[in-house]
Amino acid sequence: MAVQTESLTGFDYTQQRRTGVSAGGWALRALFLLPVLALVLFLPYHSDDWTNDAIYAAVFAMVGLSMNVLVGYTGQISLGQQAFLGIGALTAANVVNTGTTAADPFTFAIGIVAGVLVAAGAAALLGAIALRIRGLYLALVTLVFGSVTADAIFTIPSLNGQDAGVPAYRPTALQGNFAFYVFALAMVCACIYVDVWIRRSKVGRGLIALRDNELVASAFGVNVLGYKLLGFVLSGAMAGLAGGVYAFWSQEFSDKNFTSGAGFNLALIFVVMVVVGGLGNRTGVIAAAAFFALIDPLFTGFAHHTGWLNWYTDHKAYIQNLVGAVLLLQTVIFNPGGLGQVLRPFTTWFSGKRFSLHDEGDAAGAALGGADSVRA
Amino acid sequence: MRRWGVLTVSVLEVEGLTIRFGGLTAIDDLSLAVKEWEIVGLMGPNGAGKTTAFNCITGFYKPNAGRVLYRGEDVTRVPPHRKAAMGIGRTFQNVGMVKSETVLENLLTAQHTKTGYGALKGLTGATSVRHREKELAAHADAILELLGLTEFRDRRLGSLSYGTLKLLELGCALASDPDLLLLDEPSSGMGPEESHELGERLLALRQALGVTMLLIEHHVPLVTAVCDYVYVLNFGKLLAEGDPEHVRNHPEVVAAYLGGEAPEELEATEVPEEQAAAVEELAEAAPAPAPSPRRAARRPRRTGASGKKEAS
Repeated sequence: MAVQTESLTGFDYTQQRRTGVSAGGWALRALFLLPVLALVLFLPYHSDDWTNDAIYAAVFAMVGLSMNVLVGYTGQISLGQQAFLGIGALTAANVVNTGTTAADPFTFAIGIVAGVLVAAGAAALLGAIALRIRGLYLALVTLVFGSVTADAIFTIPSLNGQDAGVPAYRPTALQGNFAFYVFALAMVCACIYVDVWIRRSKVGRGLIALRDNELVASAFGVNVLGYKLLGFVLSGAMAGLAGGVYAFWSQEFSDKNFTSGAGFNLALIFVVMVVVGGLGNRTGVIAAAAFFALIDPLFTGFAHHTGWLNWYTDHKAYIQNLVGAVLLLQTVIFNPGGLGQVLRPFTTWFSGKRFSLHDEGDAAGAALGGADSVRA
Repeated sequence: MRRWGVLTVSVLEVEGLTIRFGGLTAIDDLSLAVKEWEIVGLMGPNGAGKTTAFNCITGFYKPNAGRVLYRGEDVTRVPPHRKAAMGIGRTFQNVGMVKSETVLENLLTAQHTKTGYGALKGLTGATSVRHREKELAAHADAILELLGLTEFRDRRLGSLSYGTLKLLELGCALASDPDLLLLDEPSSGMGPEESHELGERLLALRQALGVTMLLIEHHVPLVTAVCDYVYVLNFGKLLAEGDPEHVRNHPEVVAAYLGGEAPEELEATEVPEEQAAAVEELAEAAPAPAPSPRRAARRPRRTGASGKKEAS
């Protein structure tokens, strides 16, 4: 409507809000980023064990971001996210498994992309089923989807290497663990980039609007069903990418990692880590995901040094879940905004604003209110 | 008649709208028209079906019978988000906004249909998307300035007062440059001063933006001040229509609002701050009003609210 724009002229569309941070301020922020960089880059560079664990953490970070899109932004629960991870891994491994022991880079890229696309397709399928159900029923449907996918697809002998696993050879350039870690980090960055633009564009606003109130969202012109489906597809695509990286990290696809108990355990960890990280909070979710990926190596290292290694090895299955449960409870009861809420003063400071401990709080945590957000 | 004689283009036309929930007929054969440039009021006691009518018009409910025409086009089955894209904006009775977002983010969300880029392109963060987002933010800032809400720009909705929220909701509805605006009780929660201000604001907005409006409103002075034409619903049926002065003196309308017998005159100017209190007071005063000779001559007093519908 021309009248509208006309009446609102006299407004400089090009003006930008200045951050007001001096060069020194940015330098100080860079200085504080060094320990983070050391943790993310230098430690894996110097120790091969760390590289290995760090790749696993990168995979978890991608899954965390994928869960964040679905649970944090779209407000839909998924207890079957491990299926998308598995589908991505299965597809990628099968695409590159051409008999040679080193994939050529082109096939490798196709494998990763195919993993993303197939997982996104599977997510679209789940999304289409899940469009009109919510809450407990949605949780159940995703749970069943996860286990049925695992049991039905991952156990097809021609797809899982006659139950022996499908080898997933890396291309020559990524043979080294650190090189592959850099690749995994790049994939995490790609996910972060998409996540940033989900938040900055109409996509994230539409998803969050429909999470809060579907009626209001559609009054604002958001195609609620379409956006819900988009939320599922984006989430599935990220999880599929994580699956591809996972397959090439372990250099094989084995259905044992995704079927029955192991698969369900993964699904639970994925839900717990996104809640502990803080729904809708990128930094918190990535940090929490990395932490959950590193629980085992950290505890193993600790037990090794204190001489409890045998005891820990015997009990580690439930110790990990116990850590998750305790963190989940403290998040739900005391800190619904999750880790992201705790980190928030720092993240806003890094983004160029003043340091303030009294932040109004993160959107998702406040809106969904901890336990309620799981809606299961 | 204050109905605009020259501009007779109907922006919105509702024909024989009927919707039933189970055995209950929530709206029965409702027909109304909103013409270009008009501000039309939709009144009626609680449960009369006003909001249901809004929900049918905006596509949230699928009516059992009848048609909704928007600029001559049948849009009865068009889903809400597409109606929003067509230029039909609406507000909700209990503030319809995204509660977990900030004021600015809400105004950006409200411009969803005006972004001009596709969802997938938005994810690439292309230069055109960045540029467009800046424009959207500037437009949001302009609306905040227009409504005097600039100081709340980065606040979350939870920390705002109800009156501010109602005003902001109006801003959100305006952000998408609507052609037709459906306002569900815009003055709820406002005192007489504020609602008077709101009335002036609505008139000013029409003057500036040329928005046609249909509003559900209880506040009689506001309706009298802004509406060109009023429809009154009761039990899902159209009870009366006409210009505000005519309608508020309509005995059946008065009876419908107060229950029981129709008093002779509903003095809008004497309605005190609290509407509920006013209704109670008037209900008490109802049995023995001083009869106005002019009206008594025209319409004999009815003994109940069950009189036949008058042609208006």
